[in-house]
Amino acid sequence: MLTVSGLIKSYDGVRRAVDGVTFEVKAREIFGLLGPNGAGKSTTIHVAVGLLAPDGGQVRIGDAGGSSGPPTDPAVRSRVGVAPQALAIYEELTGEENIRFFAQLQGLRGAELRNRTAAALQFVELHDRRRDLARTYSGGMKRRLNLAAAIVHDPQLLFLDEPTVGVDPQSRNAIFENILALRERGLTVVYTTHYMEEAQRLCDRVAIMDQGRILALDTVDGLVRAHGGKSVVVAAVDGHEARIESDDPIGELVRLKQSGPLRDFRLEQPNLERVFLNLTGRQLRD
Amino acid sequence: MGPIFALACKDLRLLVRDKVGFFFVFGFPLLFGLFFGVIFKGAGSSQGAITILVVDDDQSEASKALIGKLTSAAEVKPIVATYEAALDQVRKGERVAYVRIPKGYGESARRPFWGTPPAFELGVDPARKAEAGMIQGVITQYAVRDVMKIFSDPDALRKQTATAIEEVSKADDLTPVQKGIMTAFFGALDSFMSLTLAPGAAATDGNKEGAEEGASIGIGGWEPVRITVNDVRADRRLSSKPNNPMDITFPQCLVWGLMGCSAAFGISLVVERTRGTLIRLRLAPIVRWHILAGKAAACFLMLLAVSGVMLVFAMVAFGVRPENYGMLAVAILCSAICFVGIMMLLSVCGKTENSAGGIGWSVLLMMAMIGGGMMPLFFMPKWMQSVASISPIKWTVLSLEGAVFRGYSLSDMALPCGVLLGIGVAGFAVGARLFTWQEGSS
Repeated sequence: MLTVSGLIKSYDGVRRAVDGVTFEVKAREIFGLLGPNGAGKSTTIHVAVGLLAPDGGQVRIGDAGGSSGPPTDPAVRSRVGVAPQALAIYEELTGEENIRFFAQLQGLRGAELRNRTAAALQFVELHDRRRDLARTYSGGMKRRLNLAAAIVHDPQLLFLDEPTVGVDPQSRNAIFENILALRERGLTVVYTTHYMEEAQRLCDRVAIMDQGRILALDTVDGLVRAHGGKSVVVAAVDGHEARIESDDPIGELVRLKQSGPLRDFRLEQPNLERVFLNLTGRQLRD
Repeated sequence: MGPIFALACKDLRLLVRDKVGFFFVFGFPLLFGLFFGVIFKGAGSSQGAITILVVDDDQSEASKALIGKLTSAAEVKPIVATYEAALDQVRKGERVAYVRIPKGYGESARRPFWGTPPAFELGVDPARKAEAGMIQGVITQYAVRDVMKIFSDPDALRKQTATAIEEVSKADDLTPVQKGIMTAFFGALDSFMSLTLAPGAAATDGNKEGAEEGASIGIGGWEPVRITVNDVRADRRLSSKPNNPMDITFPQCLVWGLMGCSAAFGISLVVERTRGTLIRLRLAPIVRWHILAGKAAACFLMLLAVSGVMLVFAMVAFGVRPENYGMLAVAILCSAICFVGIMMLLSVCGKTENSAGGIGWSVLLMMAMIGGGMMPLFFMPKWMQSVASISPIKWTVLSLEGAVFRGYSLSDMALPCGVLLGIGVAGFAVGARLFTWQEGSS
């Protein structure tokens, strides 16, 4: 569905924001770009959707028929939906006016325009507030409206750039459910985030980015297995805290119990945070 | 056209909902017009007099005395002129009316009760009925005042009556019956004056009945003055002077509306960029010129709406009557195109809303100051009037004035409208190029 090959993009001709990024996104998968702020995720997305011209490499977006084209091709663009990180909505228009306007730009007219507008608003559960100005919406509602504007024309490939920034937990869950539902409907989703919980919960595959490069790319389990290290048993033994890395944490606990009194313990399973730490030597949110 | 229409509708809707922007587009120019309109209108009415031209063909003492009385009158301000000059000025609409005092006026004024009454020719535009009626009333009032004075002075009236009896007896143009009636009338009047009429007494109903009786026997009613109205249809295209102080302020207040509209739409493109909506526009399957054309179309439509509202306001509130509506439409169209170009340039002036707004209004105010948008150019020194040519405001005002009161023909309009179109096209092209460059080449 999306092929990114050897992508290079520099700002001011000096600083490379994206440095040889290559990946492929399969149809109907949720593909995550995980990395800290400034890792190059948004730049990669901007080049992938045609907002920025790459300095090197190329992007091809395919369709169900097997043909593909560059993202700057209007025919290709009509198959792509984007929810930018910044809320790209008009605060002084109602929710319905926003969605109808973006649908018109996608070429929708007449009954199809009305139906798609209503469906998009219903999908993000804003139909009841459709006649209110967007500036009266909460942060979560604005994010959902941003999502509705991206899917109103029924795209095949959807880019979501940090779609949960500044959103309360309830709205975040609603957005997660929306994304999973879209995948069920057959959409391919490219999802950028710096929250490893989101990537872990939603993504089929994750590319870990840092300093403009992809450090690792696999399923979440694959990444954890390859780069997460061993589980860690943290136990309070003889008045001090012991950290024991082990492939068999249960067996390790049993051994600790047999060797003396075990007042307290916890188990640290490897996760994407640990994967990032192991790959870069830094925390994901540094 | 679909995306352009959608973009234009969206921008118009946003502007209408932006209270501050809407005020600067519609409210401020209306206040500007109202403020200066009231000042100028007030200044005009404080003079309290209609300027009329007086042509004195008689050059008698009576005619000069009448002109003197009119000069001291509060209702009119007479200016003595030749007949040709008076006719020309009324025809050009530069003056409301002329009053011609023909030869023989002095002689007629001396004989108020018989013969030809004192005559006047009033030359006035038939469209100005109210002024014509008022001037007729004023002329009659001051011409008849001499006659009324006779009634208030019994000695003068008896002397006048004796002269009348003598002249009636010698008159060749009266039949013996008429001579008899008039002699009897003047005799009775003389007796009446000697017996009853005290100084200061006024005419009574009995006088009126006598006049009616006289009329019934064929002498005809008393006609104190005879005013012949000459319809002089004013063609203001022959004049280059404003007919109304608002003729001058209307183009200026329209210019403020155009500036406000241009600034509002210029900033709106920056707002699209800073708030992220421009990204979504650029991601839509439309080409970049659709975005610019949509913005330009919305701005153009709003400029026309502002012009229409200002025109209706000036016509209804201040009685502005453009001489040539066709030329006004041409001037407004060219001005709107010019300000669309200016809007496009303003939109690439700043990276943020504040900087774009600041730069935009600074540039516009500067253009207004040197271009006659704040005060009419003819108030400015000569060198400043030359410098004004670099400001599109000057050409906008000039084209509007040309249609409103300068009587411009299409060829006269060619220069200001050509300049406006040139600025509009160049501004749009440069602005669009800079916009494309700022947004990257993808």
